Amino acid sequence: MSTPAPGDLALPARESPTGSASGRRRWRLSGLGRPVLLLNLLGIFAFYAVWALATETGAVSPLFFPSPSMVAAEARSVAGTADLWMSVVASGRRVFLGFGLAALVAVPLGIVMGCWWPAKATIDPLISLLRPLPSITWIPLTMLWLGIGEGQKIAIVFMGSWIYILLYTVESTKRVDPLLIKAARNLGAGSFAVMREVVLPGSLPGILAGLKVSLAIAWSCVLSAEMVAAQTGLGALIWSAKDWSNMPLVLVGMICISATVLVADLIANWIEARLLPWERARRTH
Amino acid sequence: MTSFLSARGVSKTFGNSASGVLALSNVSLDVREGEFVCLLGASGCGKSTLLNMFAGFIPPSVGELRLRGEPISGIDPRCGMVFQSYALFPWKTVRENVAFGPKMRGAGRRERRDIAERFIEMVGLSGFGDHYPTELSGGMQQRVTLARCLAADPEVLLMDEPFAALDAMTREILQEELGRIHMRSGKTVVFVTHNIDEALIMADRIVVMSPRPGRISAFIGNELPKPRNIDTQLLPSYARMKREVWSHIAGDMAAMRDNN
Ligand SMILES: Nc1ncnc2c1ncn2[C@@H]1O[C@H](COP(=O)(O)OP(=O)(O)OP(=O)(O)O)[C@@H](O)[C@H]1O
Ligand SMILES: [Mg+2]
Repeated sequence: MSTPAPGDLALPARESPTGSASGRRRWRLSGLGRPVLLLNLLGIFAFYAVWALATETGAVSPLFFPSPSMVAAEARSVAGTADLWMSVVASGRRVFLGFGLAALVAVPLGIVMGCWWPAKATIDPLISLLRPLPSITWIPLTMLWLGIGEGQKIAIVFMGSWIYILLYTVESTKRVDPLLIKAARNLGAGSFAVMREVVLPGSLPGILAGLKVSLAIAWSCVLSAEMVAAQTGLGALIWSAKDWSNMPLVLVGMICISATVLVADLIANWIEARLLPWERARRTH
Repeated sequence: MTSFLSARGVSKTFGNSASGVLALSNVSLDVREGEFVCLLGASGCGKSTLLNMFAGFIPPSVGELRLRGEPISGIDPRCGMVFQSYALFPWKTVRENVAFGPKMRGAGRRERRDIAERFIEMVGLSGFGDHYPTELSGGMQQRVTLARCLAADPEVLLMDEPFAALDAMTREILQEELGRIHMRSGKTVVFVTHNIDEALIMADRIVVMSPRPGRISAFIGNELPKPRNIDTQLLPSYARMKREVWSHIAGDMAAMRDNN
């Protein structure tokens, strides 16, 4: 989840006349001094080696687990067709819309709840009721209301992710230093200015961390919705591959999901670094 | 002598009244408009607590505080605070921090920038406008807090050990600058310190506080001629004043002596 964006380590701290020397030393110890990347690659290679040894030698029947070469062959053949890419695009679009809508609703609501206790007191019990429900329990109702079209998939993603975004946002607003709110009001800020100038930026790191976690949750929601009722999307692709007993295609689909979420995460990290320039200053110090 | 800023029979207990800490006990203080008052006392004698009550951050347990005759009932931007712990906005650059007060009163982008630049230069941080607070040393952050408060242009300056983290040279420069600002603008200043020399250089009147429980133990008028600078410390009257202040705090300050 939290692979640092490449820019994080490569960008040096802005020079400041004090403390930069010791700061830089610490930075190197945690970032470049240790062979992190080497161990990352080693882990992936070890996994691949076990998989290849177990399947290519015939120790594990390819019926139970397809070998790397079978998966690669399958990947080559479907990569040439439009199916795979259309599936990625269909799923990605549903996540984008459902998750985006959830963020648009939950982030402002969470900030208001964090700043104004009556809102929190009213909404809290509702959240306690909704939170334990996995997103798939919404499938029957949403199908009744929205049929099995795009709206229904988007609704599942929305229902599965908005509460987490809300909870993270409320929690982050509570961690804003109350002294800073006092300072802002002492400098003449009214309630709205306090929200815009202090509570929002102060809780932004926590909100973004919450969005990243919820984004992964949104992906798992769309896949389960697609497995139940859909013709398109990665979930549907995997489910129909299962019906044809095409296990290599199932694995290709799974790898595609991982890769898509990883790419989404990289993009999220990139956006985060741009939205939080002061955090970079803090981290590299 | 009209009372501009006042505390009447103020006590403050933190926690419940049975087992809580009595931070301030029956404090009464009248500050004239334009007066420069120094609160002087050992650590823990309630200086910050009194200042926080003037700023409206915390209510008194007993008693009343007033500004221009009206009770202080909440945070009032007319009483600007220089925080002991800086309280800078970490997500704003030095310039944005300093420009915050002007922004809140609706100053335009251009004006904000000019004001910020002026005060950043005044505290000797030219060229650091685009840095974030975490990129600065403690003493530099302290100067940003000072600049931010002055840029907001409040009627009353509540300053909680604003020069504590500075080296002797910078401290002297800023003491003189603050003295000039005070003379020119006629602002009322309540200035916390536990440095006697600083109190003697800055104050019109020194309010000596004692700990356990926090209380006012003496008012000492400071008649040393103004403007004051390093040469003031060579005057015979300075030594006399210093001895007088010492006599009031000798007991309390014994533990603090090594710190200053
Ligand atoms: N929020 C709080 N909760 C409980 N006790 C507090 C609180 N703030 C201050 N106190 C207590 O009140 C007393 C006075 O504290 P205060 O911060 O006003 O001292 P001070 O004179 O400013 O000291 P210093 O010179 O170290 O800053 C101390 O005994 C402190 O423990
Ligand atoms: Mg204090």
